[in-house]
Amino acid sequence: MGALKYLTEGYATIDTNFLQFCASHGIFSIEDFLVHDVRMLVASAEQLSNSDTLKQGINQLLSIIETCHQPWMNGLVLLENREQKKHCLPTGCNSFDVFLQGGLREGHVTELVGPSSSGKTQVCFHVASKVAMKLGGVVYLDSGNSFSPTRVKQIVTRISGSVENQVNGNLQQALRNIECHAVFDIYALLNVLRQLKSNLEFQAGYKVRLIIVDSISSLIAPILGGNNAQGHALMVSVGYMLKKLADRHNIAVVVTNHMVSGEGGNLKPALGESWKNVPHVQLQFSRDHATNIYGVYILKHPYMASGGSANFMIP
Amino acid sequence: MLYIKNLHFKQISIIKSLIIIFGGRDMANKRITEMGLPKSIGHIFAARNIITAKDALSLTEFELMELLDVGLAQVKSALALISEMTSPRYQTVQTLLDQRKQNEYLTGHLPTQLKGLDAALCGGLPFGALTELVGPSGIGKTQFCLKLSLLAALPSCYGGLDGQVIYIDVESKFSSRRLIEIGINSFPEVFCLDGIAKEMAGRITVLRPGSLTEFTESLQEIKVSVLQYKVKLLIVDSMAALVSGEYEQGPQRQHPLGWHISFLKSLAEFSRIPVVMTNQVRSRGANQISQYIFQESTVEDDTEKFDSRLVAALGIHWAHAVNIRLVLESRSGQRFIKVAKSPMSPTLAFPFQVTSMGIILLNDDGVEMAGPQINAIDHQGHSDIIFHGDER
Amino acid sequence: MEVLRLPLSASQKGKLISAGYTSIASLSSVSPSHLALELKVSETEALEILKSVSDGSRLQSTSSSFTIVNGAQSAWDMLQEEETSVHITTSCADLDSILGGGISCKEVTEIGGVPGIGKTQLGIQLAVNVQIPYDYGGVGGKAIYIDTEGSFMVERALQIAEACSADMAEYSRLHHKGPQACEVKTMQPKDFLENIFYFRVCSYTEQIALTNYLDKFITEHKDVKVVIIDSITFHFRQDFDDMALRTRILSGMALNLMKLARKFGLAVVVLNQVTTKYADGQFHLALALGDSWSHSSTNRIILHWNGNERYAYIDKSPSLRSASAPYSVTPKGIRPSDSNNKRIKHV
Repeated sequence: MGALKYLTEGYATIDTNFLQFCASHGIFSIEDFLVHDVRMLVASAEQLSNSDTLKQGINQLLSIIETCHQPWMNGLVLLENREQKKHCLPTGCNSFDVFLQGGLREGHVTELVGPSSSGKTQVCFHVASKVAMKLGGVVYLDSGNSFSPTRVKQIVTRISGSVENQVNGNLQQALRNIECHAVFDIYALLNVLRQLKSNLEFQAGYKVRLIIVDSISSLIAPILGGNNAQGHALMVSVGYMLKKLADRHNIAVVVTNHMVSGEGGNLKPALGESWKNVPHVQLQFSRDHATNIYGVYILKHPYMASGGSANFMIP
Repeated sequence: MLYIKNLHFKQISIIKSLIIIFGGRDMANKRITEMGLPKSIGHIFAARNIITAKDALSLTEFELMELLDVGLAQVKSALALISEMTSPRYQTVQTLLDQRKQNEYLTGHLPTQLKGLDAALCGGLPFGALTELVGPSGIGKTQFCLKLSLLAALPSCYGGLDGQVIYIDVESKFSSRRLIEIGINSFPEVFCLDGIAKEMAGRITVLRPGSLTEFTESLQEIKVSVLQYKVKLLIVDSMAALVSGEYEQGPQRQHPLGWHISFLKSLAEFSRIPVVMTNQVRSRGANQISQYIFQESTVEDDTEKFDSRLVAALGIHWAHAVNIRLVLESRSGQRFIKVAKSPMSPTLAFPFQVTSMGIILLNDDGVEMAGPQINAIDHQGHSDIIFHGDER
Repeated sequence: MEVLRLPLSASQKGKLISAGYTSIASLSSVSPSHLALELKVSETEALEILKSVSDGSRLQSTSSSFTIVNGAQSAWDMLQEEETSVHITTSCADLDSILGGGISCKEVTEIGGVPGIGKTQLGIQLAVNVQIPYDYGGVGGKAIYIDTEGSFMVERALQIAEACSADMAEYSRLHHKGPQACEVKTMQPKDFLENIFYFRVCSYTEQIALTNYLDKFITEHKDVKVVIIDSITFHFRQDFDDMALRTRILSGMALNLMKLARKFGLAVVVLNQVTTKYADGQFHLALALGDSWSHSSTNRIILHWNGNERYAYIDKSPSLRSASAPYSVTPKGIRPSDSNNKRIKHV
């Protein structure tokens, strides 16, 4: 997509004459073309001497546009796609898997929300460890220097259930599967996502099953507020990119969101209503400090009733 | 401008030195145009009415991009420059120490002449810090303040600071007679000299603000006089009385004395004088829980015991702001002075008495305390008689 | 449209879009002069635009290790690094053991507690301890001490430095008996004090400015291994009416500190005050600055009284279990607690 003049090299019918014709209608880019009434364009082309080539050009352009959008799919195809490609990733914590009917689904953006030290990062570590041990690559985007390889090592050792020394080979493999990247501002995040997208599309050999952003709210919160619309646009853009990556490459995406006090001292998620429609699944965490039991509560889920809750322990 | 023109020349020079000392130290109001930004971007800042460093740094990078309509790279480099110009310069702690040793009497301390306490505090009340005295009424806070003002006023050959004292007396408790009585009894060799009592008393300026607003106004004037005269000590007796009635318990975001805390701190620091304030006590409210959410409530029986006790007024925010807190209390008829908070001293308690010489310690080796005992304020068996007459 | 995500100004983005450059790929092969002509901007501006585009994609070629995202590190490599990484001792063995060896470099650690519990003392202790040389099992770095409250006491720093110097002399006497004892350089109290860079910050503007400037300062003073902010809270608790703005500024500052810790491999220690908070029908103590700040540090330690002893409690940490350990404040600084009770209590 872009300016029409970049198409001249690939397509014979789109020549300088055609460009001039388009320019006379104020059309410079494909976007301009799309918002123009095609019939009007054809009609005006017919009044010119070289109407045939111009019409060919218009048709050519229309067919280029055809290829740009996603193919139509019916429910059956979607179901097939889901059953074959969108698996459930186990979380490494049994009661949690049971609660989520299998774990985190690929293609979904799952958001973990909770006050500080409510277990969000620990759940991220567990999922990352479990996936890295058996299934494939994990990309961990860390905005709080909170990724702890030592802790992940503990978890991997515990999940595999053997003595520390024996798993060393597996351990190394598992840890090599986790890639951690520190991101400290929104542009860095966008950049990383863009690279991921292009690498996943054009270079074979990578298999990423899980992307974790911990925490997304600390990156987005500084650009919201005040009265700038741009911040909002960027937030939506991040959400869109995550969703697209998840769907296109069958990746489970996990993001964490913190909580702030709202009216009356009640806690609410830091990224508010407009972010809420980005994640498919929203889980709220809490922790009882006295007993050290963590609680999880469904705020939003595409096929499970919201309000369901469960307790679990993090060893 | 007109106003400044009418001022006396001397006052102008004071204002100038004020600007150097206060304005000059606080770089927040430094103008962006004076920072040597590239002209093009400097103009953009000016056009958007971002004049001072404070204006620019109160916005996030992202907001600046929006507001100035320039790219991130430019915003970053401009902010880096503004930040560098605005941030204070460092000193190594060694140079700081050397400076204090060179320029200041007793490396910056006002000795209380209570040996044990002075030893604990490395020589006395430190210059440039806020020292707070907390205790129930009648325990001897004002006595301590009177003694301190005398010490600051005394000529240095007698162990004083040889300076002026500003005494803000909110509750009208200041008594010149008592002051001189303490002087005559504690420093008979000084006060037997002719006219010295008058001179000492003359060095102490007493202000009596009637309300918080008046206090706020007088602070501004004090700032000028601290620099103009040789003021060596500022006493506020008592801070809590200023807000009694206006101050409600409970969680609140802004402390009524928030501004005063910062102001007194900067005043203490930049004129390098000790500031002493007194604080009252109140009974521990039902909501005065001193536990974190993670702590199990196993100390239930303990809290009951402490419920009868008192806590310092003005709340925890205030307690954070003071540098040194001395608690005066009485336990089974014996008065104690406790170092409850101090960056340099262990938490010691010293038994004391109020005599005609003011406060004296009965014992110079303090007893170390621990736990809730430190901040608890007892008033058992406390008699309300301030003067113990001529016990000695 | 991809160009909307570039770190450019709104008008530049607008110009790009109206000239038909909506994707990043479309900008990859344009020359600056060509772009300048088309956008009707100066050539330098066009160059800047292209630079911000290539900043993202250029990295792709330079990656040395086989990673999906450039600049990323695999957990295995990080583990190797972490196992050799050093900690700054707190001079209290119990506290060190629950912290996994001390205050960890590369992380932001927040320490809070009631007035008089020993936050500043711990801060000064760390500023001294960071200088213990490698030979003595230390980090051998320098310290930056940012004082917002005016509570830093030079005398106290001297006391702690003297105690530390004496401990080192004792250590070398025990471990290097014989003639080589004198070869190992013991640090004098003066050396300790020379290596603490003290900044006095008088307003929140200065605090923000200094946080931004630290990047440059540390680049010039590479051996700084700890930054102590005592306290982060003071200026932000007064003179702030706009709470949303305060949150934005604080979260920006937190990200800056994270970046510093990561970039220079140094420990950032942030001291915080406490406040009373109302929740679940009762008041209890909590660290100040609100809920969104509580996410801003990697580790969070709360100092509190437990009976007659001072305890440190790990409230939040991605890698450490919550546990508490006693410590005491002595004339020499922070030291292990005297009591011989069960030392560490795992929750």
